[in-house]
Amino acid sequence: MWELKEYRFAATAQEAGALRRQGPGKGAYIAGGTDMYLQPVDCDFVVDINNAGLSDIARTPAGDLFLGAATTLHNIATNPLVADFAEGMLIQAASHCGNRPVRSTATVGGNLCHALPSADMAPVLLALDATCYIADEESQESVPLADFFVSPRVTVLDDRLLVGLALPAEAATRRCASYKLTRSAEDISLVQVVVALGVENGKIETARIALGAVAPVPMRAVLAEAQLVGQSVADISLDLVADAAAIAAGECEPRDDHRASAEYRRDMVRVLTRRQIMKALHDETTITKDSGGTVA
Amino acid sequence: MKIEMELNGRAVTHEIDPGANLLSVLRGMGQFSVKLGCETGDCGSCTVLLDGEPVNSCVVAAARTHSHKVTTLEGLLGDPLMKELQQELVDKGAVQCGYCSPGILISLYAHFRAGNELTDHHLREALTGNLCRCTGYVKPLEAALTVAQNQQGGPDEQGGAS
Repeated sequence: MWELKEYRFAATAQEAGALRRQGPGKGAYIAGGTDMYLQPVDCDFVVDINNAGLSDIARTPAGDLFLGAATTLHNIATNPLVADFAEGMLIQAASHCGNRPVRSTATVGGNLCHALPSADMAPVLLALDATCYIADEESQESVPLADFFVSPRVTVLDDRLLVGLALPAEAATRRCASYKLTRSAEDISLVQVVVALGVENGKIETARIALGAVAPVPMRAVLAEAQLVGQSVADISLDLVADAAAIAAGECEPRDDHRASAEYRRDMVRVLTRRQIMKALHDETTITKDSGGTVA
Repeated sequence: MKIEMELNGRAVTHEIDPGANLLSVLRGMGQFSVKLGCETGDCGSCTVLLDGEPVNSCVVAAARTHSHKVTTLEGLLGDPLMKELQQELVDKGAVQCGYCSPGILISLYAHFRAGNELTDHHLREALTGNLCRCTGYVKPLEAALTVAQNQQGGPDEQGGAS
């Protein structure tokens, strides 16, 4: 049983902030709450934001995608506005999170605010340059998702509310590939890798390699990304892709737990990053097999 | 705290603990089709509909259902689609101990009612989150596929289920 003195309802984001700061005692926001019952948050009261107008999904005329923080994962997984964004990567991530009934209530904001290293939605949102919109009563602040996570279960929020996420139109056309390595389809990830490549005139202009469950917080492998920028899609070499993957494996900071060893996770980052880069490059590429290595 | 929800089409007022999960509150209200299984959102035996969407009532705050609609299997017993799903589970031998059956029925009912695609793939997806330790997963899927075929006006239309 979750010891809770009070359950409050907020009708707007502003009211949510006010209700939380009103006291007495320690408050927390609640949306889907699916994780709250697994590991109850130490608090005296919660503020429900499910009906605070934070559940919308929208595309701006310019093509930016906006996800309200209280949008459920099922809504993301089935929303046509999300389907053609970045080759359906968001749908893939959302529909591989938990199981069908969990996705009915679990929200994208909750997934991020819970700030687990294995947060299923974090890598894809990092790879698509998501910006977090954070509100308190006086102001709105926007923070790149890359700066949102501080340490396991800790974000930059304090008692402020994450109201939504924006993904730039430019990310919508990235070539993407992702892989979630798990023991079973419904389990949390052992390793998650998302690759998103912005290609212009046959050259990789932007590269994003985002990793989950292999560091204290979801992360980008920025050194590996740098390796790919400026490369021609048509004649990128297999060695270079393998190098980038090895660099990514060097950048992550996995740890041992009951699901997998740190050593295994690091090696899977290398293998899966290489495969996802290859997949993201599609069929157009005629990768030079200069080392005689195999693609797999 | 006091909550007012619409349970199976009837407005009800109920006194609850602010931290109580929906599962315990529904069972306290006599909704015994809602089974306590894992209490971690993994097994699906406590599945109910919240505003028409299947949810694991063990990981949903009861307080959250204030001003919302909750439907349990008890509320769907007269529903023709539910009757057909139940009969098909029986006919296919998809019910052994029966503990997971309410959750499976609610999950399938939600999927059919929402007008989702009724392919093998989509029905498997609809059944995710429902663990069964005795019958297994083939027979419930066969039952669902048969109902799907009937719904889509297949050769067995208005067949054995009526």
